[in-house]
Amino acid sequence: MKLTTLRNLAIGLSTVLTFGTAGGASAETLRVGMECTYAPFNYKTADGDLAGYDVDVASGVARIIGAELEFVCQEWDGMIPALLANKFDLIIASMSITDKRMEKIDFSGPYRFSTGRMLGAKSKEMNLFDDAGNPIPENFNGLRVGLERATTYSSWFEDILPGADVVLYDGSEPLYLDLQNGRVDLIMTNPMKAHLKFLSKEDGAGFEFKGPTVDEVKYFGIGVGIGMRQGEDELKGRLNVALKELINSGELETYALKIFPFKLHKDEWGQ
Amino acid sequence: MSFDFNLIAESLPLMLMGIGITLKLLVISGALGFILAVCLLLMRISGRWYLNFPAQVYIYVFRGTPILVQIFIIYYGLPQFEGVRDSILWPILREPTGCAILALTLNTGAYVSEILRGGVLGVGKGLLEAGSALGLSARQKFIYITAPIATRLALPAYSNDVISLLKSTALASTITIADMTGIARTIVADTYAPYEIFISLAIIYMIFTFGLQKLFGVIERYLGRYTRREG
Amino acid sequence: MDVLTGWWDDYFWGALVVGKVFICSLGLMIIFGLLGAMAKLSNSRMAQNIAGAYTVIFRGTPEILVILLMYFGSAIALTAIAQIFNPDIKFVDVPPFWAGTIAISIIVGSYATETFRGAFLGVNPGSIEAARALGMSNLETFIYVRVPEMWRLALPPFGNHMLSLIKDTALISIIGLNETMFVAKQAITVTGKPFTMYIVVGAIYLGFSTVVTLFVMGVEKYGERTTVGAK
Repeated sequence: MKLTTLRNLAIGLSTVLTFGTAGGASAETLRVGMECTYAPFNYKTADGDLAGYDVDVASGVARIIGAELEFVCQEWDGMIPALLANKFDLIIASMSITDKRMEKIDFSGPYRFSTGRMLGAKSKEMNLFDDAGNPIPENFNGLRVGLERATTYSSWFEDILPGADVVLYDGSEPLYLDLQNGRVDLIMTNPMKAHLKFLSKEDGAGFEFKGPTVDEVKYFGIGVGIGMRQGEDELKGRLNVALKELINSGELETYALKIFPFKLHKDEWGQ
Repeated sequence: MSFDFNLIAESLPLMLMGIGITLKLLVISGALGFILAVCLLLMRISGRWYLNFPAQVYIYVFRGTPILVQIFIIYYGLPQFEGVRDSILWPILREPTGCAILALTLNTGAYVSEILRGGVLGVGKGLLEAGSALGLSARQKFIYITAPIATRLALPAYSNDVISLLKSTALASTITIADMTGIARTIVADTYAPYEIFISLAIIYMIFTFGLQKLFGVIERYLGRYTRREG
Repeated sequence: MDVLTGWWDDYFWGALVVGKVFICSLGLMIIFGLLGAMAKLSNSRMAQNIAGAYTVIFRGTPEILVILLMYFGSAIALTAIAQIFNPDIKFVDVPPFWAGTIAISIIVGSYATETFRGAFLGVNPGSIEAARALGMSNLETFIYVRVPEMWRLALPPFGNHMLSLIKDTALISIIGLNETMFVAKQAITVTGKPFTMYIVVGAIYLGFSTVVTLFVMGVEKYGERTTVGAK
């Protein structure tokens, strides 16, 4: 019995050391971190395959720069710490390029819009924004807001509406579930996903957008990009070249059209 | 790798704000769980199969599945049913704290009932026979003989379970509760410094556990005050 | 129920992962437990103190915290250690499977330390004296007298430790291990039916617990086969 466990230990240790000595981000294999539970951008299908816009972007970029890909699933709030702890080399998980994040990690150019919008029940009258598109803090009183930890939406709320009653979640799916069952009155999340996966389905029939789309660059950045550790300028250069090629060749648009009837990026990002 | 002590100094007060919630979860679940455990225990030792069997099944299910799964089923799973949302239980289930207390209570109730049963089985038969000889009824024997002795016997194992309960409260953070662990995870998400924050949090829990162990030590000594040999 | 089609095979693979974690962590847990027990029973003050610290730290810290720390911290710590030997190594990574397995082995190992220590102390001194009288060496005494008596004493609580290992596996889903809880989360993203998905997870874990419990009962019978008049 002891021999088996010793053998297990030996196998374990040697596996760890073998993987480890692979060195930094090489052109051979790039490990990509993503949430894997964020449909339609990165999620697992019933067949067990990863699918979504982010997955397509990752595969496209890898193909162009000639690298192999390995996907690593990671809970959102640990995404940046995990990157910094060398759990993977790239973050391709619909992560917005914000100043705050740029303090710790580096980003490629953007590959998708980043905006936020609030959702609430149709039956509840909510006058949350004035005509200029600014939120009215008093009208948020008594409303419970669901937000995902460590997102652009929670940062925006923290700064703009610090007095709001906010409940923080570990993932995005629970947000929708709890909105439906009335645990929260309002959520703020990605409007594209909200429309596709929720509002247009029967579960979301009683809900609607409350307020305009918010896209302040300070909180949402210029868009979502590929995250990587700081100092990887050579890799960043290659990724940017690859992204531009995807944009200019129209391939990025095909990824978007698989899910939405419109493209998710600005053509000027291809310059 | 640098250890950011400044960060720890700033974060400690924030994490300690969660103590109130942690304590609330611990005390309420512990108390309700104990009551549940006593009920289950009485069902188990009743000798009647229609009480014994359901209790056994309940205990088997709740000790055989992870507490995290139980929490998730109650918090995320139950609202899937319209009936639940319209029921009188909804005000409790709507709140994450309510769900956490429910899950922790159901779970600890199962474990504690087995611990109490162990204590009951440990009561010397001779003592019970003496009770019968004195003319005590079954109910009286239970209240005056079995219960006090079983409590004292079960105490060490019970104190272990209370500590387990404390550690399980950390799982409440997975259903949006801002207890110490929940606050810590939010801080880590904002500062990207898991090492410093989680180690400080671990130390807080250890101090808590130490305090609980001391408390139970005092209780054990008090309850056992007549059993120690003098001199 | 049809909502589960297509997910059964994912659950199967997830269950397989639970099994793998169990086997690996079982081995490690026994090693940690034995090392800790021997340290506590040894004559060296330092070994006793280290083992004492080991049990205090890991019995007092929530499992989820240890797992998170092991996941984020292990890479940093191991890289630092590895760089002492080979400066060319950029990083040493520990995948979630091993971070989680080692974490739960260390935690349950700290409980096992106490169990094994109690079991070793419970070995009948008369048997040891008899072994000496027969001229057995220390090693022979250990193998033929101490260990056989000790594992029979340790078995019931050891069974509980095995169950703890199984249930703690659910927590490793938090760091991305592709076991059943993680499968459930992914399935919910696509199907929106949390209750169904988590119930399946519960059932799978209950299945594992049942197998382990039956196994322990079987081993207990085997251990008792030469005992006359077992109660």
